[in-house]
Formats: sequence, C-alpha cells, structure tokens
Amino acid sequence: MTAGLVAVLFVAAGLVATGAFVCAWRRDLTVALAGIPLMFAGAGTAFAGVSRFAAAPARGAQLLGQEVAVLLAVAALAAVVLGVGLAGREGRR
Amino acid sequence: MDTLHTIGFYVSTAISVAGALSVAFLPDRRRRGVALGAVAIGVAGLYLSLSAGFAALVALACYGGCAVLLAGPAYRIVESVTGTIWRQLGAIAAAGLLIALAYAAYFGALHRATYFGGDFGSAALGRRLFAHDALATEAVAALVVVVLVGATAAWSAKDRGR
Repeated sequence: MTAGLVAVLFVAAGLVATGAFVCAWRRDLTVALAGIPLMFAGAGTAFAGVSRFAAAPARGAQLLGQEVAVLLAVAALAAVVLGVGLAGREGRR
Repeated sequence: MDTLHTIGFYVSTAISVAGALSVAFLPDRRRRGVALGAVAIGVAGLYLSLSAGFAALVALACYGGCAVLLAGPAYRIVESVTGTIWRQLGAIAAAGLLIALAYAAYFGALHRATYFGGDFGSAALGRRLFAHDALATEAVAALVVVVLVGATAAWSAKDRGR
C-alpha cells in the first residue's frame, strides 16, 4: 500500500470543497470564516504534494510548493485575525 | 512512499477530513475550535508525511492559531443577510467544486510522479523565502501588518463606542 500524487490531490480537493461548503452554508459569518483556513490548507496540501512528487530533486524546485504552503498558512491566519476583529466590532455575543 | 510515511499520510488524512467535516456541522463554537485544531494537526501530519517538516510546523502554528481565535472569547455572532436559497445554491456549488477537483485529481495519475523523500529543509526553504522569492514573503508580511492594523482599529473603534 502506498500513497501517490492522486491521493494527495484527492485529500486537497476534499479540504477545499469542505471549506467552500462551510463558507457558503453557515449562517453565522464568524463560523463561515472557519472555511478560509480549510480551503487554504487544501491548496497548501496540493502545492506541497505536487512539489514533493513531481519535481526534479537536483534543481531544488521541489521547495516551491512548500514555500507556497507556508505563505498560504500565514495568509489564512491573517484573514481569520481580520475577520474576528471585524466581527468583534460588528457582532454580538 | 515507504510504509511509515504512507501510514502517517492516511492517518493524517482521516484526522484532517474528519475535523473539516466537524467544523462544517458542529453547532458549538468550542467544539468547532477543537475540530479546527484537529485539522491543524492533520494538515501538519500531511505535510510531514510529504517531507515538508518546516511547512508542517508553520501550518500547525497558523491553523492552530485560527482554531484558538475562532473558539476563544473574542468570538462574536454576525448573522448573514443572505437568504436560505442562496446558501443552498452555494452548498450545491461546493459539491460541484468537489466533483470538478476530484475529476482533475483523478487525471493527475497521467503525470509521471516519483517520490523524493527529503530532510527537514528549513534552511533551503528559508533561502527560497528570503532570497529567491523575497517579494512574495514581503507581500505576505505587508498583508499581516495591514491585517493587524485593521483588527486593532476595529477593536479600538468598538471600545470607543462603549
């Protein structure tokens, strides 16, 4: 039993679609905000998987996907911080 | 992948997908926070099984931080003005997105893929982030600064309104 690029892409697709579902389905916008890190995590998983499986190791290009995954994680945290801050201003307990 | 990485990959997959579905359907914010924390652990495990150790650490910190924020005392309820029919259409569109992405992933098998296991890679990744692709790093840093200033301004405006 092994896991290949297709398995990684399936997991990434599931995370992205679940995040989109959370953003679209939840009535509370602060809950819908939780879909953003899910989508970014799925995209980062796809980038990290492709960079790991489909790159030539001698050229160092396999790090590009990891780099994008790191930047996506930071951007997701920034988006949630801004959303929670705005919700704290506009929302109710 | 070798057996250890494969087991780690599938266990992390189960944790992350179960956590994501729990985020979608759990009604309580604390449980949703725990579920998002499980997603953070699962995604970090996925990155680790893909030999992306540094990305795993960053993902654990960032997505864990998202979980803490969304489960913490700063949480406020903001009701959406979008109607039920539009939310249902959005959910159907998310299902369509899943089908389209799964279709694309299935044909990812056409690509000849070879596994290159590697080391932790923090030094090489740091060189890419701060030397080769410094502009992208600076863009994300600017985004973080703008977000922190915006969130601080939003909170201080609320405090003045009290």
